[in-house]
Amino acid sequence: MEIAIIGAAAIPCGRHQSRDEDDLEILEHEVLAGVAIDAVEDAGIDKTAIGAMVFNYPRAYTKQLYFGTFMAAQLRLACDGVVMEVVGNGMTGGLVFEQAAQQIRSGRVEVALALGVNFETAVPATTHMNRSMRATGDVDFHSPFGFTPISWYAMDASRYMHDNGVGRAELAQVAVKNRQHASLNPLAQFRKPVTLEDVLAQRPIVEPLGLYEVPPRSDGAACLVLSSVDFARTLDRPFVRLRGTGFHHEGAHQISERPNAMTAFNAARRAAATAFASAGTTAADLDLAEVYAPCTIVEVLVSEALGLVADGQGAHACMAGETSLGGRIPICTSGGLLSRGHPPFITPLYSFVEIAEQLRHRAGRRQVAGASLGITTCELGNYNAALIHIFEAMP
Amino acid sequence: MTLRIVAMPRRRAYPPRMSAFTRTFWEELASGRFITTQCPECGDIAFPPKPHCPACWHRPVQWIELSGHGRLYARTTVHAAPGRFAEEAPYTVCIVDMAENVRIATRLVGDPSVALDSAMELVVLRYEDGPLFGACAAGTAG
Repeated sequence: MEIAIIGAAAIPCGRHQSRDEDDLEILEHEVLAGVAIDAVEDAGIDKTAIGAMVFNYPRAYTKQLYFGTFMAAQLRLACDGVVMEVVGNGMTGGLVFEQAAQQIRSGRVEVALALGVNFETAVPATTHMNRSMRATGDVDFHSPFGFTPISWYAMDASRYMHDNGVGRAELAQVAVKNRQHASLNPLAQFRKPVTLEDVLAQRPIVEPLGLYEVPPRSDGAACLVLSSVDFARTLDRPFVRLRGTGFHHEGAHQISERPNAMTAFNAARRAAATAFASAGTTAADLDLAEVYAPCTIVEVLVSEALGLVADGQGAHACMAGETSLGGRIPICTSGGLLSRGHPPFITPLYSFVEIAEQLRHRAGRRQVAGASLGITTCELGNYNAALIHIFEAMP
Repeated sequence: MTLRIVAMPRRRAYPPRMSAFTRTFWEELASGRFITTQCPECGDIAFPPKPHCPACWHRPVQWIELSGHGRLYARTTVHAAPGRFAEEAPYTVCIVDMAENVRIATRLVGDPSVALDSAMELVVLRYEDGPLFGACAAGTAG
């Protein structure tokens, strides 16, 4: 059973979460219900067609527990497939998509929602990191030293610069490029263009990376409507077909116990090979890539792992404009995690939203002309696992 | 070899838990020995130490002492730290590839600008409430 994306909606990434002491709070379930209805309207279907809903497991700060089943009541949506929540660090949104797709592949349902909300910005970063450091490290053998989630990517940067003779300014150009893309995206958290000088002038966060080279803190809510391709064809409107999928977990948590080339992102290489083989395509066939890259260096490394650019050339390719809108292979036309925003548990859903817009040719001023084939990635740890999807426009 | 001991005038910001199994590691570290587990069947050396061999799943494993020597693979200086570590920021963390072909992540002490691929040695960081390990450029432990 082939999978289609037939509808998509999201709120702009940004600071939405209210605080306990606020007179009026912004409630996750109210926001997500609105997004779900928007997405189903976008699909042009009746709610009775929906047979399953897969949510991300909400952040620990979300007060409403059993959030998925609570949402089923909010939407008064009876389901014969699953209503469930999934989690997998930064890959969570990708697993949400996969579980919804599995419901359709199994033949149990014809339409499934992949949706969720991630609110966390009212919690100070220092408090949030006391928790998140326990996700991206061994609690007993890494966390005691003070490794933060993005400290691992910063170490990638140190190694990549050392091995390839690349300077910080070349990595930083990725942030300039993504901000330019975000300036054209109404869902983006940061839309004011910045210069390379602006990026380099920011305070250090995890050296060599400064404030604009690491992800912002973001809230968000997004919903994808998935169906079988057969069902999508009955709707008589453009949709997106899932053409290939690949997954690989390298059996390591943050670092390999055996010394290896950490910056090769081997899990992404393995998953991409599977995805390209199942799609019957190659990297050269792609029109755009919406990759999961919390830091500038990560975009460089994953663009190399996918074969979009040659190894060691990712930063140079960005500097040369190859990965910009209008370039050879535009990367992160949404603005990416750096500028579109990064509500971690649903960030991959935002990647699918961007692909759905681009491949239905509705991306406005950031539209990749004639886009017909796109790739998404998501990951966890330091790309210790990667989940990769290849999508095709069905006009 | 016995690791050099560096006094740290504070308590550990996020102390590791100790199990009946890992207690051996932390007690040996406190006395200056860096040990980990090796599989008697396939020879695989694991770190962090594990009560089973992660390569072939054989049990039990045996404890071995590492040389404490390695090379700096990667590093970063953390300025935006978790609240628990606020008083220590900025601090430098690193990845060191040990002579025994084992990769570890740890705190870097001493000169934070030490070049990648430099020879490193492990040290014991003696905090007021217990030990951690760290790494510094070889021959520079005070």
